[in-house]
Amino acid sequence: MLTLDVLGYEEQGNVATLQLGHPVDVAVIRDLQTVCAYLEDESKSDVLVLRGNAERFCGEIDMRAFDPSRPLDIHGFHKWEKVLSWIERIPKFTIAVIRGRCVGAGLQLALVCDQRIAAPGARFRLDEVSRGFLPGMATFRLAKYIGLGRARSLVLAGKQLDAVEAERWGLVDQVVPAEGLDAAVSSLVAAWTPENAIALELARRLLNESYSIQYEEFIGNFLAAQHRAITSERFMELLKKAHSE
Amino acid sequence: MVSKLAESLPQILSVGTATPPDRYTQEEVLAMFDSVDPRVRGFYLNGHIKTRHLVLPDPVNGRREPESQEALITKHRRWSVRLGKEAIDACLSPLGLTPADVDYLACVTTTGYLCPGVSAYLVKEHGFREDVHRIDVVGMGCNAGVNTLQPVAAFCATNPGKLALMLCVEVCSAAYVNDGTLRSAIVNSLFGDGAAAVVLRTGSWVNPPGRKYGPRILGFESHTISDAMMTMRFDLYEGKLSFFLDRDIPYFIGSHVEKPIGRLLERFGLKRRQIAHWVVHSGGRKVIDSVKYNIGLTDHDVRHTLSVLRDYGNVSSGSFLFSLEKLLNERVVKPGDFGVLMAMGPGVAIETALVQW
Repeated sequence: MLTLDVLGYEEQGNVATLQLGHPVDVAVIRDLQTVCAYLEDESKSDVLVLRGNAERFCGEIDMRAFDPSRPLDIHGFHKWEKVLSWIERIPKFTIAVIRGRCVGAGLQLALVCDQRIAAPGARFRLDEVSRGFLPGMATFRLAKYIGLGRARSLVLAGKQLDAVEAERWGLVDQVVPAEGLDAAVSSLVAAWTPENAIALELARRLLNESYSIQYEEFIGNFLAAQHRAITSERFMELLKKAHSE
Repeated sequence: MVSKLAESLPQILSVGTATPPDRYTQEEVLAMFDSVDPRVRGFYLNGHIKTRHLVLPDPVNGRREPESQEALITKHRRWSVRLGKEAIDACLSPLGLTPADVDYLACVTTTGYLCPGVSAYLVKEHGFREDVHRIDVVGMGCNAGVNTLQPVAAFCATNPGKLALMLCVEVCSAAYVNDGTLRSAIVNSLFGDGAAAVVLRTGSWVNPPGRKYGPRILGFESHTISDAMMTMRFDLYEGKLSFFLDRDIPYFIGSHVEKPIGRLLERFGLKRRQIAHWVVHSGGRKVIDSVKYNIGLTDHDVRHTLSVLRDYGNVSSGSFLFSLEKLLNERVVKPGDFGVLMAMGPGVAIETALVQW
C-alpha cells in the first residue's frame, strides 16, 4: 500500500478515493505523482474519485511557498502541469467531487477529471490573474468546456460561479445536495462499467486532441486507436459474448 | 563522473547524415510521374511529407523517361558510395577522426544489390585501412540499421578502445519503378534518399567541446511477425525489382509493438514513463500513428520522427539516425536519460534498443 505525506488515499471495491483539501505545494505534487504511479502500476481500481473537504475541493497555490528573496523559476509550475496531465491520462475513470471553494489550482485540477459533481454550495473561480500570475493550463482547457467568451469572464474578469451557474455553463456535470454526493458517485460508478479500459483511455485521448488538429490528421489517429481497441483481448471477449447471446 | 559499468558499454560518439543535392516537393514529384489518378494524388499530398531528396534523371523533351533496371543499379552504386562518404565524413570529422581510425565497418543498404559491397568501395576510395573488418547487410529493409547495431555494439563490447562505424545508405530513387500501377505510386510517394553514419566505441572518451555525445547501448529486443511476412517485399515485375507495401502494415505493427517494447523495458526494470526519448523510424504517417496509440506516445515524443518524415520522406534504414541527430542537436538530453531506438521493416520486423546517456 502506498504512503503519502499530506493527502489521504483509500481503495474500496473498484474505487480509489483521493482526499484533497490541502493548499498546493511541493508535498502535494509529490503525493499526486505517487498516487499516479501506484494507479498505473499496481492498483486494480477502475475509478479514481478526487474529493475535497466541506470547505474546499483543493487549496490554491500557496503564495508562501515562493521565496521573495530569491529569483523565482518556472520549474515548480512545470511539475504541477506534468502531474495534472498525468491525472488527465491515467487509465481510470476520474470523478471530481466538489464542495465549497473550487478556486485556482482546485479548478485547474477539476478540469482534468472525466466528470465533475458539485454540491449546491460549491463556488468556482480562477483568481490567479487578480493575484498577478496565470491559472496554468486551465488557459488551454477551460474554453473547450465553456467557450472562449465565458472563459474570458472567468480568467480575465475573475468572475465567480455558483454550482448551478457552473452546471449551466458546462463546467460541472451534475449538482446534487451535499448529502447525496456519495450516492451520486455510486450511481455514476455503477452506470459506468469498464467493459474495455483501453477504449476509455483511447476515446479520452482522441477527445482531448480533437481541438488542436485537422480532420485529415485526426482520421489517421482515430483509425490507429480504433484498431487497437478492436484487436484488444477484451473486445474479442465482448464479441464472442455478443455472438453467444 | 562515468561509472565503471557505463565505461564497459558501447557508446555512440557521433552521428552524421548526407542527402543528394536535389530536393523536390511532393507536388513536383507528382508532376514528373504525370499522374492524374486522385488516389495517387492522395498518397502524395496527404501523407505528412513535404519534401524529399532524390536522384532523378534529367527530363528529355520535358518528360522523364522510365529508367531501366541497369540504370537503377548503376545509380544505386554511384550514389550509395557518394552519400556514404559524405555521411561518414559528417560523422567522423567533428571528432577529429578519419576513416583510417576505424577498425570495424558495417554497411547497410536495401535499395540496390552490388557485389563487391558498399564497404569494399569505401575501403578502396575513402581511406579505410586494409585491415578494417567489414560487414555488408543487404536487403533487410528499414529496420536493418537497428539489426546491424547489434553486431557493431557486440564488436565494441569485446574490443574496448576500438572504433566501429555503421553506415546506413539508401538510394530509394534507385528502387523507383515508374509503371503507372497504384502499388508503385505508393512506394514512389513515400521513400527518399539519404545516408546516416554512427561511430561507436567502448571505454572513456572525450568529444571536442560543444559536440554532443550519443547514448550508450544497454540492450536489444527484436520481434518478427511472420504472419505478415509478405506485406512488405520486393517482387520481380516486368524485369524490375518493384517494392510492395500492404495497406495493413501500420496495423500489424501497431498490434505487436507493445511486445518487444514490453520485453525490453521489463528486462531493465523500467516503466514506459521513464523513457525520456523515443527515436522512432519515420516509416510513414499511419505507422507512426499506430505506434503512438499503441504504446501511448505523444506528438512531442515523436517530434523528430515526424519532422524527418516531413523533410526527407522515409529514408529507410537510416531514418532513425536522422531523428537521433536531430535529438542531439536539440540539446535537451541530460546524463542518465533513457531512450528507445525503434525501427520497423520487412519480416515484418520491429527492432528495438534501450540506450542511456
